[in-house]
This record gives sequence, structure tokens and C-alpha cells, in this order.
Amino acid sequence: MTRYLLKRLFWMVPLLVGISLISFLIMHLAPGDITTTEAGFNPKASEESRQKLRQLYHLDEPLLVQYGLWLKRMATLDFGTSFASHQRPVFLEHKDEKGNVSKGMIQEALPITLLINVLSLALIIAVALPLGVISSLYQNKSPDRAITVFVFVGFAVPGFWLALLLMYWLGVAHDWLPISGLHSLGYEHLAWPARLWDTAKHLAIPVFISSLGGLAGISLFVRNGMLDVLHQDYITTARAKGLPENAVVYRHALRNAMLPLITILGLSIPGLIGGSVIAESLFAIPGMGKLFYDAVLMRDFPVIMGILTIGAALTLIGNLLADIAYAWADPRVRRGVTG
Amino acid sequence: MLHKVLLAASLALSACGQPNSASTANLDSPYPPQTGGTLVDAMSGEPSSLIPMIAGESAASAIASNIFNALLKYDKNLELEGELAKSWDISNDQKTITFHLKPNLKWADGVPLTSNDMLFTWKLVTDDNTRTPYGADYKLVVKAEAPDSQTFRVSYAQPYAPALDSWAGLQILPKHLLQGQDINTTAFARHPVGSHYYQLGEWNNGERISLVRNPNATQGQARIDRLLSRFIPDPAAQFLELMADNIDSMNLSPIQYARIFPARPDLNKKIALYKELGNAYTYLGFNLKHKPFDDRRIRQAINFAIDKQEVIDGVLLGLGEPVASPYKPGTRWSNPKLHPYPYDPKKAKQLLKEAGYADHDGDGILDRDGKPLAFEILTNQNKQREMSATLIQRRLKEIGIDVKIRVLEWASFIGRFIKTGDYDVVLLGWGLGQEPDQYNIWHSSQQAPGQFNFIGYSNPAVDRLLEQGRLELNPDKRQEIYHQFAKILLEDSPIVYLYAGYGLPAIHKRVKGIDNPAPPAGIGHNSYEWYIPEPLRRTEISAQ
Repeated sequence: MTRYLLKRLFWMVPLLVGISLISFLIMHLAPGDITTTEAGFNPKASEESRQKLRQLYHLDEPLLVQYGLWLKRMATLDFGTSFASHQRPVFLEHKDEKGNVSKGMIQEALPITLLINVLSLALIIAVALPLGVISSLYQNKSPDRAITVFVFVGFAVPGFWLALLLMYWLGVAHDWLPISGLHSLGYEHLAWPARLWDTAKHLAIPVFISSLGGLAGISLFVRNGMLDVLHQDYITTARAKGLPENAVVYRHALRNAMLPLITILGLSIPGLIGGSVIAESLFAIPGMGKLFYDAVLMRDFPVIMGILTIGAALTLIGNLLADIAYAWADPRVRRGVTG
Repeated sequence: MLHKVLLAASLALSACGQPNSASTANLDSPYPPQTGGTLVDAMSGEPSSLIPMIAGESAASAIASNIFNALLKYDKNLELEGELAKSWDISNDQKTITFHLKPNLKWADGVPLTSNDMLFTWKLVTDDNTRTPYGADYKLVVKAEAPDSQTFRVSYAQPYAPALDSWAGLQILPKHLLQGQDINTTAFARHPVGSHYYQLGEWNNGERISLVRNPNATQGQARIDRLLSRFIPDPAAQFLELMADNIDSMNLSPIQYARIFPARPDLNKKIALYKELGNAYTYLGFNLKHKPFDDRRIRQAINFAIDKQEVIDGVLLGLGEPVASPYKPGTRWSNPKLHPYPYDPKKAKQLLKEAGYADHDGDGILDRDGKPLAFEILTNQNKQREMSATLIQRRLKEIGIDVKIRVLEWASFIGRFIKTGDYDVVLLGWGLGQEPDQYNIWHSSQQAPGQFNFIGYSNPAVDRLLEQGRLELNPDKRQEIYHQFAKILLEDSPIVYLYAGYGLPAIHKRVKGIDNPAPPAGIGHNSYEWYIPEPLRRTEISAQ
């Protein structure tokens, strides 16, 4: 098992380098660089000063040289600083000799996005699991149909449209929830329970909106998994033994139906750091989606590469974790791995 | 699209309930000026840094212009006047400008502000290590000196008329805090100390920035205590916040201004709408190096074939003005005798016929030498520009020109098409500058890749006027030069002026002292005199 793990971890390194090289090349395929986007169309900005900037950022070097420079920095886990004029560190905070701390861009955006995504994933599972089980138990009867219609409507409704309606209804027509942002004015002066309540109120609509689309996938997944299992011989055996229906469904069927869900959860780990640009703009949440989108529009290469690399690493780790969890949960897989 | 959705949403839901309006009964009664209070507004972007010469984006200059002073400024009619400078003299040979500072100027931290700070700022902006795109104007200064603490003098190799504008654009930075630091990475960018009405209070990344009154302000004291800007990227979300009374001001879109507000009397009760001339115009520009756009008759024909009022009505819902020169209507640089090309399809057809175009093959599209008159309009992702292109497409179709439209993301647009000159027609915008010099945009020498005369305009008469205009510092003589320049430009029609849209600020009625109608400089010119009477202030904020 340890050997297997080490082998998997070892192979992740060339894979990561390959992914980063491809990302780097694709990123540079798009026309333009930071000097075309930043003050690029201001007649007061001269072409010479833009050339100067290009040299400063090595944008005038051949692509492979640029990639080499980036890789060299990355080898020491240095994500570099943004091309934008604030030149903030891409990933982690940096302290200068005077003790002034400039926060990393990903460091600031990531916790917010992570919080929203973890909450919405939890909400999705908490709702989709029972929905899926109910659907399978009442296959093709009206509860099943109603649930299917509900989750597909949730999947199909444009999130930004529903978000605007909810913002209007809950925030303008009634003063129940805040409309946008993460904190109320004067948040700093609140005691911690009030802060928690304040944040919860700000997150309510965004989390609801981002979960709604995910309900359909997971609940149908659970439903179909359950249906597969319910038709297995061992369920018939369990029923024949005279086990109560609850025990059959929850102890024997559900646990087996949950196995493929591990794969799905593993695959959703990299998704946790991605935010939705539309939702983040709408709710004025400074998260990863907007950070990435703005970086692409600005051609802020260090930030783009930073986010892509972290995403790639998390994808690989997510896959590995899913495999391990699978092996742990399913003896058949475990034997295949160690044997 | 969000606006349309929002419109639908607000119409659909307006029956559901009334917004949480505070007591609006006394909003309209008069109040005497008073100091205090907080003004909350929304910005769609966040500044990257608060050092104006380094951060180029509009969000940064909006905030920084409340923190830093320049030597000169524009008054409400867009004429230059002193800000840190009490007065300025121009030498007889027009090569040297001497600024005399106002007495007893101070930085927010109490340190005296002197001509040494100006000299320091000039050195900074012209330093090769400073990461600024704006150095070019200041590098023309061959000698800058501070003979005493109240005098700052700059000399040019030859008279340079845009110099005065450039000194209104350079915000002065404190030497005592920045000396010996790397301006590109200094922490000062996020902890600025200036000399204007406000100083930085707090900056919560991604959420908001707040400014508080500067007790040592050089220009007197502003009336409002605190300015709070919330970063809300989405205009629909901004509008909802305005409706819910969580922000005091925002810039409306034409749909919000002309469709939603008239339908919502409850909003009109608490929010006042203003209209000011915007700072930019939209145009259709021809690649003059490509056939057939080298032929003036073709350009004029297209100009006659486009109904500008239709574009303004359709795209801006009437909230804009046609322009006939690249200057703000109502200012001295705009030539009042010039008028846009009228909509005249007959004349357009006539001109095309003279140029040799006719529908020889009967397919409805004009052709010459077997080649149809067809081209592509390129524009960037901007709803108003896309809609304008669509209206133009239809009008040109009517006179037998086949137009396709292509919409591109900004960096690709500039990098792939503008820089390489690989396009026929673009739909873009330029600023309606306060400074009349537009050498960079129209002079024939400015056509290299990356320079701004990318349409390839070349007219010796215009070149000469632009050169003259740069040498003449007397405003009245300059005015004549630029009136003549605009006249030739209009006749030559290298671009079709489409419209200059209005800025449409909406401000809560609790804010008093706003000039209406707006002067050429816009309503913001006297924002330091705005005030919020105590009974109308927000309770939850004033409690802090």
C-alpha cells in the first residue's frame, strides 16, 4: 500500500509539469498581454513605456524561456507577484523588512470560495441524499416524479435570474436578508455571535443558489445507485431473512449505493476552489471565480498560472484520495491494489 | 441583459410589497448646510493601488482624486485653475512655467507640503524604474527646479501647450514618506497620505474602502465626514442596493434611468436623478490604409447613411448627444459651428455612385470592378457598441452595403487586430478630453504598432494644426487652432462620430447641495460642498 502511494505521488510530479506547460502555452495563445490591457488604450500612455514593462516582466523573451523562469520560481514554491499595479503576491502573504504585510491574492479569495462551496456541497448532500433514496423507493410513482421535476427545474433555472428575484424579494421588498457583500457595515464592532449571524445572513442566498444546480446530479446518482443495489441478490436474501425494511434499505442497500458517491466527492475537490463568476459578481463576493476571470481579462499571467497550478494539484490529489477512500471502503478494490 | 431581467423582475414584483422606505416625508424640505454624516456609494471595480501614477484604472483615480492634490485643476466649466498652486506664470518664450504655491500647505500628517514634494514627484514619474505608463508628458521637461519652498519651475526645450493639463493630472506625492522607497512595491500604495479633502480610513479588500475627512486639507474642509465606497461589480446588484437604501449613489444605465425610474414613483420620492455629459464619445473608425476607405466619398457616404439620432434613441434611449468634434459640447474647444452629418441616404447613394459603385450583378449589394462593397465592423464586448453596430448594419444594408459584425474580448481585439492593423472598420470610443491636444490620435507620425493613430489618418493640414496647437499656450489662440482642426476632421470623415452618452448619477435625496443642471465638469465638481442634514442621516452608520 505504501509503495502504491509513493508511486502515485511520484508520478504526480511529471503530470503537474505537463499540465502547467500546456496551461502556460494555451494562456499565451490568446492575443495581448498585461500592457495591452492596463492603460493600453490611454493616449497618455506611450508605447515606449509599455515596451519597458514588457521587458520588466520578461514578456519579450521566447515562450519557453518564460516558462523556464516560471518553473524555476515554482520549484521553490514561489508563485510570484501579480502583474497588476499593486504587485501583490499571488498565493501567500509577503512581509517586507518594515513589517508591512501584503496579503496574497489567492490567500484572501480562497477561504471565501471554499466556505461557500463546502457549505453548498454539504447542503447538496443533505438534501440530495434523502431525495434520491425516496425516489428509488417510490420508483416511477408520484413522489419520484415530483422529485425529478423539482431537481431538474433547479438545474435548469438560470442561477443569476433566480438570484436577482431572491435579492429583490428578500432584500428590497422585505428587509429580511442583505442583498450583496459578505459583511454589514460596522461588522467589526459586533460581538462574535452577531458576526456569525451576520455572515450567515449574507451567505444564505449565494449558498442556496449555488446548491440548487447541484441537486439534480447527486440525487439522480443516489437514486440510480439505490435502484441497482435494490435489485441485487443479496438484498433479496436480506429480505428473505426477514430483516425489517428499514434495515434492508439503510444498512444493506444505501451503504453499497454510496460507494460510487465517493468518486464523485473526490472529483469535486478541485471544484471546491472554483467560484462562479456570475454569482460572485452579482453578490459582490471577492472569491476565486472573479479573481480568475479578471486575471484572464487582464492577462495577469502569474495569477492565472497560480490558480491553474493549484487547481491541477488539487485535481490530482482529489483523484488519489478518491482511490484511497474507495480502497478503504471496498475490500474488492483493496485486494486489487495491494495484490 | 441583466438590466432587462431586472426590469422584468421589478415589474413583476412591484406588486408584492413596498421597499423598506424610511420616513421620506421631509426629504424635500430645505435644510441649512451642515457638516457630518457618511455618503455610501458603489463602485464596480476595486483600485489596485492608491498611487495614481502607478494605478491606471478609473476606480483608483476616483478614490485617489479625493486623497491627493495636483498643482492645477479644472473648474466647473473645465477651465484650468490653481489647486496647490496659487498662480502660475508663463515666460515670454513660452518655454518655462513657474508655479507659485498657496501658503502653509500641509500633508495630512501635519508635515509642510513644499515645492520639494513637486520636484520629488516629477523625478519619480520620469524615473526609468518607475512602473508608470504616464511618464511621456513629464519627460519633455528638460529642467525642473524648486528655487524656494513656495516656487516650482519647469522648463521645456520648446513650448509645450499640453504641459498645463499634464500638471493638472500629476498628483503630488509626499517626499518625506516615499524617499528611498521602491515606488512600485511600497506599502504606501495601500496606506497613502495625501493633502486633499479626505484620507484613507479603512480598506477591506474586495469589500469596501472608506475615506475620512483630512483635518489638514489644503483646500478647506469638506462637509461630509466619511465617504464609503462599496465594491459591487454587478450593476443590477448595485441598483437593488440603491432601491433598498443601502447605498446613496450609483451611475444608472439608460434602461434604469428611462424605464425603471418613471415606473416607480416610490423610488422617485427618495432618489434624485442627474444628467451630465459623459467623458467619451463612440465612433465608427475606418482603416484608411484599406480600400475603399482611402476614398473620402465612401467615408462620407457611410456617414450620411447612418442615422445618429436613431442610434442614440435605440441604444441610449435618447440619453446622449451627437457630437461633431472630439471635444465636449459646451466647452471652449468644441466648435459650435460644426454639425454632425445629417441622415441623408440619397446623398449617400449619390456619393457612392460618384465613386464608381453600382449594383451591376443585381444582388442588392453595390459593387465596383466585380468586388462587392462589403466589410466587417469589429467591436469589443460592450452591449451599447454591439447594439450600435446592429443599427448601422441595417442602415448600410439599405443603401447596398453588406456589413458583418464581429465582437471580441478586449485584449484579443487590441492585440490581434488593432496592433496589426488587420481590420476594416472598428466601433470604439475615445475620451472627450479636457486638454484639446490630440496629437497622439490624429498626427500622421503616430501610426506605428501600439500607437494610437491606428486608423492611419494622414492629412498635412491637420498635422500642421496639431503641431501649432502644441506650441501655443494662449487659450484663445489655441481655441482657433482646434476649431479649425475639428472642421477639417469632420469634412474628411476618417471616423463617423456616433454619440456621446450622458453620465446618469442617481443620488439619494438626503444628499443636499448638488448642482442641477450639471455644469460641463459634471455634478461632482463641488462634492466637497455636498452635505447630509442630520435628520436624514442613516442611523446605523452615524452610531459608530
